Amino acid sequence: MIYLDNAATTRPNRAAVLRAQTFTEENFFNPSALYGGAFAVFSELGRARESILTRIADPQKFELIFTSGGTESDNLAIFSSARRGNAVTTTGEHAAVERAFNELKNRGVEPRFAPVRPDGTVDEEALLSLVDEKTTLVSVIHVSNETGGINDIAGLARRVKEKIPRCIFMSDGVQAFGKIPVRLTSDIDLYAVSAHKIGGLKGTGALIKRKGLALSPLIFGGGQEKGLRSGTENVLGALTFSYAAESKFATLPEDGERLKGYRELLFSELDHTLFTRLSPGNGSPYILTLSAKGVRGEVLSRMLWDGGVVVGTGSACSSKHPYSRVLKACGYGEEVLGGVLRVSFSPETTEEELHAAAKAFNQAVKQFKEKL
Amino acid sequence: MEKVVIIRYAEIHLKGKNRGYFERVFANNLEKSLKGIRHELHRTSGRWLVEKFEEGRAEEVAERISSVFGVHSYSIGYLLGSSMDEIYAGAKLVSPKEGTFKVETHRGYKQYPLSSMEISAEIGGRLLDEFHGLKVDIHSPEHTVFIDVRENGKALVFGSFEEGAGGMPVGTSGKGLLLISGGIDSPVAGYMMAKRGMQVELLHFHSYPYTSDGAKEKVVSLAKILSKYTLVTRLTTVKVTKIQEEIHAKCAAELNVTLLRRFMFRIAEKFALKYGMQCLITGESLGQVASQTIEGMTSSNAVVSLPVLRPLVGFDKDEIIARSRKIGAYETSILPFEDCCTVFLPEHPAIRPKLSFIEEEEKKLDVETLVEEALRSAEKTEF
Repeated sequence: MIYLDNAATTRPNRAAVLRAQTFTEENFFNPSALYGGAFAVFSELGRARESILTRIADPQKFELIFTSGGTESDNLAIFSSARRGNAVTTTGEHAAVERAFNELKNRGVEPRFAPVRPDGTVDEEALLSLVDEKTTLVSVIHVSNETGGINDIAGLARRVKEKIPRCIFMSDGVQAFGKIPVRLTSDIDLYAVSAHKIGGLKGTGALIKRKGLALSPLIFGGGQEKGLRSGTENVLGALTFSYAAESKFATLPEDGERLKGYRELLFSELDHTLFTRLSPGNGSPYILTLSAKGVRGEVLSRMLWDGGVVVGTGSACSSKHPYSRVLKACGYGEEVLGGVLRVSFSPETTEEELHAAAKAFNQAVKQFKEKL
Repeated sequence: MEKVVIIRYAEIHLKGKNRGYFERVFANNLEKSLKGIRHELHRTSGRWLVEKFEEGRAEEVAERISSVFGVHSYSIGYLLGSSMDEIYAGAKLVSPKEGTFKVETHRGYKQYPLSSMEISAEIGGRLLDEFHGLKVDIHSPEHTVFIDVRENGKALVFGSFEEGAGGMPVGTSGKGLLLISGGIDSPVAGYMMAKRGMQVELLHFHSYPYTSDGAKEKVVSLAKILSKYTLVTRLTTVKVTKIQEEIHAKCAAELNVTLLRRFMFRIAEKFALKYGMQCLITGESLGQVASQTIEGMTSSNAVVSLPVLRPLVGFDKDEIIARSRKIGAYETSILPFEDCCTVFLPEHPAIRPKLSFIEEEEKKLDVETLVEEALRSAEKTEF
């Protein structure tokens, strides 16, 4: 199997899982308990927290809350921050942000959506023009999960703060963390990350927050995670996350360079009469979004699955919600939207796999077109 | 005193000399529906009793019985000795503690020392003495305590009649093949034929990779829901991908659906004849979609000789949805896995296709080979 849907999820990092498993089998105590063994779990969890945090932020200025994943982190950030006035985001957000913003309407906050450009990044001037003195939150996705387009969140955060200093700035960093170099600046208040996109386990994520920023929890209970996320800690998930991040960050720059080469290699081997490219050249090296005009992405992805190549799609054979909301917002027409394939890589991806995948893509589209 | 479920049956008494056969099938169906619950099933004058189950499972027994066709009504009650004290002990358990009530007695055992009226009066009197919030109302009581004194020195006491599924025992009206999609209509059509006693087997068409595995899974879920009533726990799926592709490539786009349906009917008929099914059943309702016009139905009927039963033909969508909800299929039917990819849906399907045009277009295809090929893809799922 050639797995090229790593933006959806990655294969868990075996060494990381085993290391976490070994630790938790022995140290299975509840980290909140008051005896020695429990403290060992508590401190390992603390090391994991610190280890993940320091990869992208200064632990003097930021802290990390473990959550059940990117979606929960986004929700916690949004519903804590947007309490009145208006909140500004982009039309290129992941559903976790987009749906939460729409929910804000029911809570008396006006959501505002800034348009995105064809590569999925936000039109910065348009975004800033939506920010006014009543804006309490601005949220901008760091790396678009649909195109790989990268937003300059540090620059945007600075400009937002210059305009409205007390406005909170957050970013969904799920597709950026562990994949592109990230350093959180002091203008960024909240940053959501997920474990299973970098070899961790599903059901684990984190919200990184600027110290001193007050949040209001979505989940109440035993007061874990400083009361912001109650519930006995997912120790196995959190440890696996930190071990996987450790290994991922160790080779982050090299991986990025290599995969950028692979991304271009794959595209160069595609039949350009069949495929158009939606991902920008300066986007994430991990994502190449393509469209085969006149083809159904969903069908193509199943044909490829049968041939042993796994890719994502941005379109469904559904009559109700056939096309990707984000790509539609990027301005593409139905012909392009119907045939979207999202190819996404991991450091495990090899050059041979990409040669084979390119061949399979070309062939599948031709086959589809011959039949229909 | 033992908790029992009392089952009364619907139209079987109409069946004259065939009554024995109907009763056997009915009993067999009751047994099937109670699979996995330890019990004994006994027939007594004009009714069945489910006995000897764990008392805590009475509701579950009743729930299962409620979906068996042929059940007119059922009650959870008590089987006890026929002395007045024993009957009263049971009556106390099913009686309300306040409000208006009456006692209704049926006396199958005519030698019993008291008449029906006397039994009712005696038990009613004792209840009034014990529960001061009770009041008798013979004409429109809020509650009724039913007493049934029987010949073997036993009595049944129960507090209500629950409506059963009605209809005829499944298996007493032949065998049909339901063309089941993932939608709302076809499971309801299957339900209705099973209600009239037909054994309903299931055939589903898919067109992977144009449809997803999820769509197939959804049909299996629907089939499971339906099996509660039909007692049939298998489903056959047939792949029609190649047929759809060929039609799409070679024939007039507006006939896509019409032609596909003719193929489905042909495949279904061959399958039905092979396994002894006597008719095809579809969920079509007149005019609901472009292919369900009288012309559309005529064009499908033209390729088969088995009768095609369309129990929903005169129903509005709302009526079908109401029935779908009633049988518990609706929530599954509306799951978002579609059974036809939009690539095959023409923008303007033919509403009144002419048979001559259809036949002309169909000549472009090797019908027989395609049908045979599809039949070879048949896969049976048991659940």
